[in-house]
Amino acid sequence: MKQPFAAAYISVFAKEKKSVFLTGDLGFMALEEIRSIMKERFINAGVAEQNMISVSAGMAEMGLVPFVYSIAPFITLKTVEQVRNDVGFTQLPVTIVGNGGGYGYGIMGPTHHALEDLALYSSLSYMTSYVPAFDEDIFPQLAIIKNEKKPSYLRLGLAKNHRFSLPKYTAVRHLKKGSGATVFALGPLIHEVLGVQVVDNNLYKKLDIWCVSELPARLPKQALISARKTNRILVIEEHAQIGGLGSHLARQLPHFTHLYAKGYQSKTYGNQQFHLNENGLDTAGIHKSLHNLLK
Amino acid sequence: MKYTRSTIYRDFLSLVYTRKIGHIGSCLSVLDILLAIYFHLKKRGDRVLLSKGHAAPALYIVLAANGVLSKQLLATFHANGTTLPMHIPHAFIKNEIPFASGSLGHGLSLSAGMAHANKLQKRKGNIYCIMSDGECNEGQVWEAAAYAAQNALNNLIVFIDVNHIQAFGKTKDVLGEVTAEKWYAFGWNTYECNGHSIKDIVKTTQKIKSSSDKPTVILCDTIKGFNLSFFENTIESHYLPLTEKQYLQGLKKVKSL
Repeated sequence: MKQPFAAAYISVFAKEKKSVFLTGDLGFMALEEIRSIMKERFINAGVAEQNMISVSAGMAEMGLVPFVYSIAPFITLKTVEQVRNDVGFTQLPVTIVGNGGGYGYGIMGPTHHALEDLALYSSLSYMTSYVPAFDEDIFPQLAIIKNEKKPSYLRLGLAKNHRFSLPKYTAVRHLKKGSGATVFALGPLIHEVLGVQVVDNNLYKKLDIWCVSELPARLPKQALISARKTNRILVIEEHAQIGGLGSHLARQLPHFTHLYAKGYQSKTYGNQQFHLNENGLDTAGIHKSLHNLLK
Repeated sequence: MKYTRSTIYRDFLSLVYTRKIGHIGSCLSVLDILLAIYFHLKKRGDRVLLSKGHAAPALYIVLAANGVLSKQLLATFHANGTTLPMHIPHAFIKNEIPFASGSLGHGLSLSAGMAHANKLQKRKGNIYCIMSDGECNEGQVWEAAAYAAQNALNNLIVFIDVNHIQAFGKTKDVLGEVTAEKWYAFGWNTYECNGHSIKDIVKTTQKIKSSSDKPTVILCDTIKGFNLSFFENTIESHYLPLTEKQYLQGLKKVKSL
């Protein structure tokens, strides 16, 4: 999603005088146009993420609107104290952009995976995490960030092509009606859910599918009614068990089956699809869980 | 009321004695640096960050003396319900102290961000950052040092309170002394001065050439527990409160300042 992000950022922020963009020495084949447009307001802050977060807080204190970009685990895990003390306590409008949420960096290995980022930010009550599911989500999310003027996290993943007309962006979107089971998927994992149609169209027809793109997530009334009615609920996320979508929905739903990232059970590594498969988060795993749920 | 160096030291001793608190040594090593900045150097548009947040009592006393902090507020220090805890909280004085400080290593990055923002917005005003020598153990300090030099932040002036002692050892025995050479190697203007001579601190700061495109660091040679003979250059001064006898002895000493 880094190219669609760059295009949306250019459209919403790059031409604003107060905008500054800091990168932790990353952004090849994605941020070049932002750099060209923003000139001295585009800053390569080097491989020094803690400094970069605190610098961005200093800039925000003086009236600028910073975006801070790096690979998701580098910019979230290494900098928690800087985010809390310098950005969070002061509620400054700093946006942290993490590329490659979940297993996004695949075979690059576990240092490059972000499975705990949303849990960290869920514990910071002022922080909203945005998890776009489709490339088209990034523009409205940036528009919200611009309007909200508060600490934000944008977790970029990998969106797949889709062949249907997307409903207007909201934090929790209803993508498909069904009365057999209610499915909530966080961000790009929605594509694995939609893939069930190809594997088992009869089962797919029974699904009431919801796409969640922001945390904290507050379910709309219609989603709660669906969950109560089907009484078969599946929550899916590319994140550790605690602190992500499952934890947010546990306060709103009576019970559900939870598919989440369990780390590296086989102690082997592969591409993103390999890890989704191992964790039952790919289309086949989701289909299996749904099949059991609907027995 | 007219404040003098002597009355400010006296008020500081009274504050820490009545609250039975520690961090006295770290406050006494930085107090003259704070006085130099707040009473002689800081101009309209300048901002100050005390990165060694454990010296908050010294900052509170100086801010009270120059009228930024009310006496009523200072009286609440260290009590339940106060907005003045032992380490600096965020935004306790709007537009004056924006950031919390107490976990070491953040202040230089924050100051660099503020200085860079001033440059990008073509605003005048220096950013003064005060750090401790022990704080330079933190890796983030050196990330910020490289950042400030690379971005030619000549509106950033850092004072390091070099009292040679940190929380559990002498600086030279822990991760090594902070030296001008280290900062010079990072591309900074470097100066050294007597951190207990307000005149020397001010004079040294005035030497900074406006034509320079580098950030500046001033290594202020100080004494931990300054003016309290029983505390000077001791680790104990980092932790222990004053006894009544020590307090009275201290009052006698600072009267002659």
